Amino acid sequence: MNIVVRKLIAKELYVNRWLIIGATLSGVLSVLIAATGNKAAFNIGMLTWITTIIAFGVMLGIYGVANERKEHTLLFVLSLPISTGDYVRAKQIGLSLCFFMPWLFSSAAAVALILMHPDIPDGLLPFTVLLCVFMLANFLLVVCGALHARSEALVSAVIIVTNMAVSAFMFTVAAIPAIGSTMFGPTPIWNDTTWTVLAAELVLLATAFLLPFLFAARSRDFI
Amino acid sequence: MNPTKHLEMRGVRKTYRYFTLDDLSMDIEPGQILGFVGPNGAGKSTTIRLAMGMIAPDAGEVRILGHDIISAQALAKRDVGFVSAEMRLLPHASLGWHMRFVASIYPGWDGTYAEKLVKRFNLRPEQNVRALSTGEHVKAVLLLALARRPRLLILDEPTNGLDPVARHEVLSEFMDVLRDDSRSILFSSHNTVDVERISDRITFIDRGRIVDSSDKEDFLERWRRIHLQLLPGATLPDLPNIVGNARDGQFVTLTTNHFSDAQIAQLGGQVRDVQRMNLEEIFVANVMHHREARGQ
Repeated sequence: MNIVVRKLIAKELYVNRWLIIGATLSGVLSVLIAATGNKAAFNIGMLTWITTIIAFGVMLGIYGVANERKEHTLLFVLSLPISTGDYVRAKQIGLSLCFFMPWLFSSAAAVALILMHPDIPDGLLPFTVLLCVFMLANFLLVVCGALHARSEALVSAVIIVTNMAVSAFMFTVAAIPAIGSTMFGPTPIWNDTTWTVLAAELVLLATAFLLPFLFAARSRDFI
Repeated sequence: MNPTKHLEMRGVRKTYRYFTLDDLSMDIEPGQILGFVGPNGAGKSTTIRLAMGMIAPDAGEVRILGHDIISAQALAKRDVGFVSAEMRLLPHASLGWHMRFVASIYPGWDGTYAEKLVKRFNLRPEQNVRALSTGEHVKAVLLLALARRPRLLILDEPTNGLDPVARHEVLSEFMDVLRDDSRSILFSSHNTVDVERISDRITFIDRGRIVDSSDKEDFLERWRRIHLQLLPGATLPDLPNIVGNARDGQFVTLTTNHFSDAQIAQLGGQVRDVQRMNLEEIFVANVMHHREARGQ
């Protein structure tokens, strides 16, 4: 990795610093609200927790990639001594690092909530882990789409589809008997179905991460 | 190809659905300012994006400072400063941050010169880029390109949005760059006044094709408007190199692209006046002549 790519990765962390701090605080605060005791607080807390992670990913995709193209900041970045491939590498790694910290803290807080709160069944743990990994993969899909799409409409379509995918994932996975039937049990059940879903998520995650390196990075026309 | 040339484009073609840049070839030698002039939509920005490797040609070859722009893009751009009127800096960072960022990438960054430009352009490094006016933004982008001390400056309509004073300041800086004769500039604009002021060579482009290319002085020497008053019953002799002919009764205005005393001698006593043409007049006459020749 050359010095310009490293500088561009550092640039992503710098320009998104307040967003990273805000999303981390919002994610952890949401879990604390959920932990206050009553059911309404739990629902509000978990709703803001999910919204925080999804919205943060979407904002990184819009501000980090789509707006850079739309507002011609991309011209400035591409005037630097980098290739198109360098730009894609820097963007993919930089934005992933930006997303990782709030995602990690928010996910860890949610896991801690389930394990430590006496009124929340530990059986929710596998579902929560699957949801967290799915939201990470979902973010990478947003960035992947934004790096490949040339039009604002296409980026919007990617964002809408990936947003809807989170709800669809939650309902679909909860409806799988092997997962849904153990969700509210006293102990977490890590059965074959859980591992299969997790493996599928990891494949999706790896694909979304690697696709820009294979296609966008080799694009002949990047503007 | 000669590796010492700062820019070489050979037989470049780029096709879009409604536009084709066709068979484009041009060079920039060290120490040269090439004015690249064309109407809106002529292909200036496409050419510059090809030169910067942001888009790839369908055919032909582009070399910057001896490097192929497609296979060695990062290396080729190491000594290039690129400024476009469209270009925007990062909206959530200050000018000072941008200066430190660019300085950390370019070992040749001239901090003293950058500070001098900050003062000359009346910029404030602590100011967020979002708060800069259009003119200040253009100056900030220029500062970031100039203080790298690049061997080749590629400028796409750099004076757009600048007031006359700011334009004067910016053009003066370009002239300063050329005091070092190892540096060169590709200056793309439809503002012929700016181009005429600083360029030593000029290329005209229209509808995706280069229509003419020559030294500035050569253009200014070759092109003339000849005003005639035809004698009753007289007809115009068949003159070579006449690219425009406007007639109003017995008064005729001829435009020539190879002015010579022989032309005047052929026209005899009918000549009332011979006018030099400025670059804008030459540009318009040149483009219209080529459009007519191509039947467009």
